Amino acid sequence: MTQTNPRLVGNSFKLGYRFQRYWDTSMALAFFFAEAGAGLFLVSFHFDFLPGMIAGLAVAGTLKPYFHLAHMGVPNKSWRAILRPDRSWVSRGAIAIGVMVGFGVLYVVDLGFGLASRLGLPAGAGELAGWLAVAGALTVMCYQGMAMSDSESFTLWASTLLPASSFLYALTAGSLIALAAGWEILGERRAALADLALLLLLLDFVVVAGILVRAARKSKGGAFSVELLTRGEYAGTFIGLVFVVGLALPAAILFASATQAAALAATATMLAGFLAFRLLLFKAAVFEPIMHDLAGSLGLPSAR
Amino acid sequence: MAKMGMVFDLKACIGCNACVVACKQENSLPDGVFFTRTLSHEHGTYPNVKRVYIPTICNQCEDAPCEKVCPSGATYTRADGIVMVDKDKCIGCSSCAVACPYDMRTMLDKELFTKGLFGTGELTPFEQQGYGRYSPGTAVKCDFCSERVDAGLQPACVATCPTNARIFGDIDDPNSAPSVLIRERNGRQPLPEKNTRPKVWYVD
Repeated sequence: MTQTNPRLVGNSFKLGYRFQRYWDTSMALAFFFAEAGAGLFLVSFHFDFLPGMIAGLAVAGTLKPYFHLAHMGVPNKSWRAILRPDRSWVSRGAIAIGVMVGFGVLYVVDLGFGLASRLGLPAGAGELAGWLAVAGALTVMCYQGMAMSDSESFTLWASTLLPASSFLYALTAGSLIALAAGWEILGERRAALADLALLLLLLDFVVVAGILVRAARKSKGGAFSVELLTRGEYAGTFIGLVFVVGLALPAAILFASATQAAALAATATMLAGFLAFRLLLFKAAVFEPIMHDLAGSLGLPSAR
Repeated sequence: MAKMGMVFDLKACIGCNACVVACKQENSLPDGVFFTRTLSHEHGTYPNVKRVYIPTICNQCEDAPCEKVCPSGATYTRADGIVMVDKDKCIGCSSCAVACPYDMRTMLDKELFTKGLFGTGELTPFEQQGYGRYSPGTAVKCDFCSERVDAGLQPACVATCPTNARIFGDIDDPNSAPSVLIRERNGRQPLPEKNTRPKVWYVD
């Protein structure tokens, strides 16, 4: 992107805002696939939709690690990411992915082939694996938002609403994918799932708006990020893709029509908006000018 | 145990960037990588225009967010308060770079180590002698020239500064040069609202 905003100083030796440039498209895709996969597994688990569970585990267990490793500077040491769950959300998330995929696979294999009884395990073993996988999925659905909100660097991220947005978007994606893919299998439960998806789309809107309002009020850096998203460089993409295509359109489609084609269309538009949300949260985050208060003391107008 | 810290005297800094060059030389930093910068800012309208220089460096925070988020245990704090990165443990996830509110971490792009300064794929003798200390793909940052500190020397940027705008020492010792400056000239830390408790202070 051409840098046109004079308050953005890039990587130069000037005082001003600097873009977050460390987490890029690969990380956004890793976040997106982890949340969509975990959400799909959770919803499918609730609705006993086996193909959805398998697809959710496959997405979260392959695409998420692939894009995360693609981002990593030293992927051959990636196993070290699990070493500090006592303090790092990245460690907790890596462990949660392992728990979700590991126990999830055991659960679906047990559902399909009666693994527990073949191995002579107690009757509840398969069920226990399923609930452990659910615990892992719930963590995966939140941890990326926790990792972002844990950082005080970017006001746009430093909000308790970030984990909420991760969880709600994951659940929305899971509900819509399960609805579209399991249209025939779900039968009478379709209506409940469609109602859930509609409610979640509304909640997504409330949380995204809340993130913007909170960031704009918290600091000038936050206000600058919100300005980039709503009136600046990213306004067209953010409003168009995240709000209109990603939230309003799928809600309208679901409200207007109860067919599988409509569910597919709603899912596709919602996922496009979800991915755009993930990407733009990374792109619009800015580091505050490091010396704004000191600059003021020198007789400078505050750099913020 | 000493807590090493640094004070920047903004009235003394003339923006010569000798510190930046000394740092690059001492640490054999690749093209485009800086552990310290001297930011500039112009203000006012002609003919009353002023330029101010503001040196920046890793603040070696007491509550270092980069250490807290590191999933592999690569980032740690020495007994003397200097925050370090163990290149053999770093996995290059960039969590630390994202967590540092001061944007003082750098991820070492693997290309830096293969394309060379002139982009020809050939490393200059300076690059050949210095790049061994780095592991491509990992995070790097200023460590107050810890090897020099261990040898009883000042960090390269401090030793080079021609105007004594950088003052280094034990900030736990009330009689050290930085402690006296902080106390007598109302030293302040960068972005205190981030609650990182930096060990770098500014006086003006």
